[in-house]
Amino acid sequence: MAGSHSDPLAHPEVQQGGALRYIAGFISTVLLMGAALIVTMRHDLAYQSFVELVGGLAFLALLSQAALFYGLDISRAQIWKSVSLILTVPLFIITVGLTVWMFQSLDQRTMVMPSSAAAATQPTLLQ
Amino acid sequence: MQLQAPGPWSLLFGRLTLDQIPYTNPILQVTFAVAALIGLAVIGVVLYYKKVGYLWREWLTTVDHKKIGVMYIIVGLVMLFRGFADGLLIRTQQVLANGPHAAGFLGAQHGFLPPFHFDQVYSAHGTIMILFAATPILTGFQNIVVPLQIGARDMAFPYMNAVSLWLTTAAAALVMISLFVGDFSQAGWVGLIPLTELPFSPGTGVDYWMWAIQISSVGTTLNAINMIVTIVDMRAPGMTWFRMPVFSWTTLSTNIIGLTAFPVLGVALALLGADRYLGTHFFTAGMGGNLMLYTNLFWIWGHPEVYFLILPTFGVLSEVIPTFSEKPIFGYVTMVAATFAIAGISWLVWLHHFFTMGSGPDINGFFSVATMLVGIPTGVKVFNWMFTLYRGRITYTVPMLWAMFGLFLLLIGGLTGMMLALPAINYTVHDSVFVIAHFHCMVLMVVCAGFAGVTYWFPKLFGFKLDESWGKAFFWTFAIGTITVFTAMFALGFEGETRRLEWTFNTAWKPMLVIEEVGMVLYVISLALFAMMLVVSIKNRNRERLGADPWGTSRTLEWLTPTPIPFYNFAVTPQVNTRDELAWRRKHELANAKPDAYEEIHMPSNSGLPVILGACAGIFGFAMIWRIWWLAALGLLGIVAIVIFRSFDKNAGYHLQPNEVEAMERNLAIGSITSEQPDRSHHSIHAEAH
Amino acid sequence: MAHEAAPTANTRLFRPGYAGHNQISARTLGFWLYMLSDALLFTALFASYAVLDTPMNAAGGPIASQIVNPIEGFWQTIAILGSVTAYSLSTVSMKNGKRGGTALGIIASIVLAVVFLAFGIHDLTALAAQGDGMDRSGYLSAYFVLILTHAIHMGIGILWMLVMLVQIPRYGFNEMVVARMLNLRMFWQFQATVWVCVYVYVYMIGA
Repeated sequence: MAGSHSDPLAHPEVQQGGALRYIAGFISTVLLMGAALIVTMRHDLAYQSFVELVGGLAFLALLSQAALFYGLDISRAQIWKSVSLILTVPLFIITVGLTVWMFQSLDQRTMVMPSSAAAATQPTLLQ
Repeated sequence: MQLQAPGPWSLLFGRLTLDQIPYTNPILQVTFAVAALIGLAVIGVVLYYKKVGYLWREWLTTVDHKKIGVMYIIVGLVMLFRGFADGLLIRTQQVLANGPHAAGFLGAQHGFLPPFHFDQVYSAHGTIMILFAATPILTGFQNIVVPLQIGARDMAFPYMNAVSLWLTTAAAALVMISLFVGDFSQAGWVGLIPLTELPFSPGTGVDYWMWAIQISSVGTTLNAINMIVTIVDMRAPGMTWFRMPVFSWTTLSTNIIGLTAFPVLGVALALLGADRYLGTHFFTAGMGGNLMLYTNLFWIWGHPEVYFLILPTFGVLSEVIPTFSEKPIFGYVTMVAATFAIAGISWLVWLHHFFTMGSGPDINGFFSVATMLVGIPTGVKVFNWMFTLYRGRITYTVPMLWAMFGLFLLLIGGLTGMMLALPAINYTVHDSVFVIAHFHCMVLMVVCAGFAGVTYWFPKLFGFKLDESWGKAFFWTFAIGTITVFTAMFALGFEGETRRLEWTFNTAWKPMLVIEEVGMVLYVISLALFAMMLVVSIKNRNRERLGADPWGTSRTLEWLTPTPIPFYNFAVTPQVNTRDELAWRRKHELANAKPDAYEEIHMPSNSGLPVILGACAGIFGFAMIWRIWWLAALGLLGIVAIVIFRSFDKNAGYHLQPNEVEAMERNLAIGSITSEQPDRSHHSIHAEAH
Repeated sequence: MAHEAAPTANTRLFRPGYAGHNQISARTLGFWLYMLSDALLFTALFASYAVLDTPMNAAGGPIASQIVNPIEGFWQTIAILGSVTAYSLSTVSMKNGKRGGTALGIIASIVLAVVFLAFGIHDLTALAAQGDGMDRSGYLSAYFVLILTHAIHMGIGILWMLVMLVQIPRYGFNEMVVARMLNLRMFWQFQATVWVCVYVYVYMIGA
């Protein structure tokens, strides 16, 4: 409870910030998204590999944000943020992944799609 | 867009009209009379003893984690009583409305509750027991005990702690208001879809259910953040992770679940709200909605929620059993590992609540195996408790009896749970009362651990024990009542009774329904004994004033503080040398050691803002339920304004001087003063200037 | 057992002068945990979007490829990343104790955020105007609510920035203001993170 009387600007999370790092984060994310945009606009990949490639680029973009913008590492100031993030990511994958799996199977078993409707459109994750 | 629901609507009062108040219903007349009498009596006592100021200064505006915890438990006990009354109505209706020739009273065809009313009763029973009774009681314990156990002066965010409490209270108040203004949901505590959609539930019942849960879950999420940061950041020096008491570990794991699971519930209900208020098609039957999406989202939260309830009770057992076995807990590390294994697996099993959805053998198989995996860490825990008892010096105090019975219920509930984990069995007994009996064993285990906790920590907080003989009478009546009701209910499940029956059509069920009702009578008696226990204990409170460690065999840091606990908890932060620090100090005759000198203590100031914020949230919820848009906007604006206003408040707290601390500690040692905080509201003596 | 060692002359039972936890660190950790909770909220919305993103759920209305424009989304991406970078740079000014630079960064950040929101709101109102609002189909409900939830977060962030613009000149960089600035940086960055997920999942994979 003792109020710290030290200079708040000396706090490691303030000192951690750096202009170069943030600009690098901006450039890397924009480049990665640009690359993903080009892949999307060319429309020349099979759906499966397209999703994998774009998903991979997005993963890299998120990683660069984690490292450059959030400044996550295992230092004393940041360790609990890193740990809690690493514990939360599986929940993200479980929630979306198992839901998609569940409904994919459910749709196949219960929602008989009229063939014309299925043929008229391009695939989504559930198909 | 369909911002307007069917029925009359006015700009000033929204959907609220005078005939929404069911003053003609005789059951509600009685309920209202009783509630009004209790309310008037409480207000009368407060006014008669001129305690309004005391109430405001010491309780409503407090940011002290112990008082907030006590208030959580009071809210929880009040709601537990309400939920029990609902349960009594359900059981009585089912036994009266048995068979085609059952008589009807009070306008019902069979029994005394028409379907319209009965459906509300069971929906309220489930919602209240899970979210407004069990959750606040357990949160209360965590609030009281964890900062003490880890040697901290308060929670990491004392102000936010008060905000959590008042949000929960506002939500509980909404549930209570639904008794007398409008109706409650008739779609079960899970919100059976598409029954909760506007065309099928055009009234305000579903809105009450939805907004109450929404507001309380914001409170729970904030509390989870608070607890986790407290445990991570505020442990006393020397309290390494593996010296932390098991209750604090279970609190950590349970709040990780709370933090991550409650937003999913929030989304499920918000999307339902969008369907009801904005005319979207998330869960509608037509127009591209998907009914099972709601069920899926609800149980993504719903299953972790079950462990959110049960893990802290495992923590209570892990404190009570070693204390009254006079042995350290057996297998501490495996206990911690099992706690986190349960928390982790809790995220992988939710489909077992709807095996019958039909997603195919591979998916049902996956979730079945995942569900059975829960049995392993839980088994580890049960064996650890048994080995703790083994060759211990056991004293059967009231908390110990509750813990033992909790263990028994955990075993029954766990084994029937394993049966339900098999999809083949699950298809057969799906939605039968066998399932109800299973999960009631589990939640009654929570209740048992709750009573164990109440009797165990009560003397620490108030300085006198709850009366042992009345406590034992209460325990045995309650335990026998539980066994009577739920043995019969398991049998009824096998006889094919499905859940939520307003009319139990099969006369072959009659004997078991009567046995259940006998059990309910025992519950009613136990409730009276509980009240007697409180009255007798309070009357005799001065017979034996207790010191820091009333049980004499406790093991953890909370028992190191004086009794009653001063608002700053520890005059000087303790240094932790071992796991079970107090047991170690007692063994080496250091338990009464006092610090050489006292020092300045920085404490947070009380604030009236949290209670006002809670009121604004309650008003917002009420206005949204009745679609009084101007009032809803006002409530929301109030919340935003308070948050911003608070950010401009310097709220630096105050400093307690060493001589003041010394005087208080000396007085506490001779038991001459209470733990009341000095009044700093008008003259913040040593207010910190930044 | 090792931890059952008997006390010695050096054993301490109390720790006078123990400083306790650091306020700023506790606040940023607490806020970080809130953001993880918020991330789960978006997770649930993504899961819902995934389930409702089928031709069946479009109920005869438009599907993803008919309403999303990845190129326009790219401009939005640049705007929001520019906004978070501007805000991050303003915290670098804070590190150097410069109030003016900090305020300037915040203002630039607000402007770019408004640009981002203008794009999004324009899209949604245009769709609603042609009869494809959120009440058209299950798919459009999921699309609208996902985008709107993100937009509401952005709006709260802008409000928070306006409060900071008042508090910085008023209080200077005291403990509370610094903690709020750090939390706001995480919050703002988090909106960009969510947007990257939305952009890739809705605008690219859907296109």
